[in-house]
Amino acid sequence: MKIVVAGKGGAGKTTVSGTIARALARAGNPVLALDADANPMLGVSLGVGFEKTDMLNSVRQALDAGDVEHQPTVEGMVENFGTDAPDGVRLVVASRIDNDSPGCQCCGVSPDQILRELEHEYRMVICDLEAGIGTLTRMEPGNADVIVVVANPTAKALEVARRAVELADDLAEVVVLANRVRDDEDLKAITDVLGEDRELIVIPEDSVIAAADRDGTAPIDLDPDSPGVAAIIKLADRLAGAPVPA
Amino acid sequence: MRIAVVGKGGAGKSVIAGTTARLLARDGKRVLALDSDLLPGLSISLGSGPDPVDPPLNQAAEKGENGRWRLRQGVNVVGAVKRYTTEAPDGVRLMQIGKSGKEGIQPIMGSINAYYKMVHRLKDAKTFRDWELVADLPAGPRQVAFDYAPFAETYLVVVQPGSQSALTARRVAKIARMRGGTEVRFVANRVKGKRDTAHVERLIGEQVFWSLPADEGVAEAERLGIAPIDHVPDSPTIAGIGELVAALASLEGQGQPMKSSNGVS
Repeated sequence: MKIVVAGKGGAGKTTVSGTIARALARAGNPVLALDADANPMLGVSLGVGFEKTDMLNSVRQALDAGDVEHQPTVEGMVENFGTDAPDGVRLVVASRIDNDSPGCQCCGVSPDQILRELEHEYRMVICDLEAGIGTLTRMEPGNADVIVVVANPTAKALEVARRAVELADDLAEVVVLANRVRDDEDLKAITDVLGEDRELIVIPEDSVIAAADRDGTAPIDLDPDSPGVAAIIKLADRLAGAPVPA
Repeated sequence: MRIAVVGKGGAGKSVIAGTTARLLARDGKRVLALDSDLLPGLSISLGSGPDPVDPPLNQAAEKGENGRWRLRQGVNVVGAVKRYTTEAPDGVRLMQIGKSGKEGIQPIMGSINAYYKMVHRLKDAKTFRDWELVADLPAGPRQVAFDYAPFAETYLVVVQPGSQSALTARRVAKIARMRGGTEVRFVANRVKGKRDTAHVERLIGEQVFWSLPADEGVAEAERLGIAPIDHVPDSPTIAGIGELVAALASLEGQGQPMKSSNGVS
């Protein structure tokens, strides 16, 4: 199963992706976490650590540096370039922009290409996209099974989420997250734009998630029972097809 | 001043860029605000209303017989600023890339190509020597790496007290410095006190140039989609941005980085 997470920058994509990945792994699923952001940070919310996340090499860089032979298959890349994260999650960084002459950012390792070719029969793939809707505009139906669109109760984040949902609806099953919801007013703001005809998964505002980001730790390690983290774990169970208690 | 505002998504780039542009214009300066984000943001923070579906800049470029985009005959940077910008409050001129939607970037390719050519010509255009140029770049390092603000003399790297924001700030600053000839200054945003500023400095490993306070009024403006300078003109953040702009202006021409300052008491 392939799950892709999209939304505005700062909406909570990486936190949601990392926490879903860890929760799925804890539930016994083989999990591949794919960081498809050119500014990769998924390692932080997976619990790999701040400095280590900053140093993780990407597939693109390793190829450019000639460290590794170009792997004939995407599976080979995953094998060779991956890093182990807690709970047995395998983390792969697709491409990272880290200099002022980055050249072509897509050849061989574009997120949509990796998603297309990745083996997903026997494992859960969680893919954290770059901010905005660029990758969604390049994806084709079948690249993902589920697209999680993360929305916040701000005018800008809602507008980005609205555009993302519009694209995602043609690509896969869409799950809309109302993230950082403090009260009914926040939820109404999101429902008015996105929730007319669909169910919203509400992730309440959670000081544990903010504290985890501050410390550079995984929210699921800081407190899996805090309201925001628990809501993401519940979503992970649902995505994996586990029965969700009412 | 010629600045590019960069950093992680959600760090507050557009609010800082939009407010800076408005404050400079109120101070009597000629201001060109530059928006290269494929998604809405700056127009809201600037208070210039909804983004046009067909951006004016689309008219500045055309596809040649060889299939490559080029500027239309007779379009130069002076004419482009006159004809293909819109007017924002306080007389700010806004030049922007079109916004991407269901059809992707195809309908706005003209504006993207024209924008990229224009920002590169702005750098040396005599007419704009006494203009203030304020660019709001999209989240992350991509456009810094691809040189979307070649005119920038200062990169303002916006960072809030968190790991993801700080990692982005470090990466973006590193790429901006590779350009040479530019100053990189870190602005700590949504800071609740000196400890937050110190935390940011620890994470980025460098001094913060300016700190802006956390501000409920600005958060409310963001929820409502109103420019903070219009919604809460007397708020601490707007005052802080005013002080930041004054500090940057006082450095103009000195070429000397100022000692770390802190707008938060």
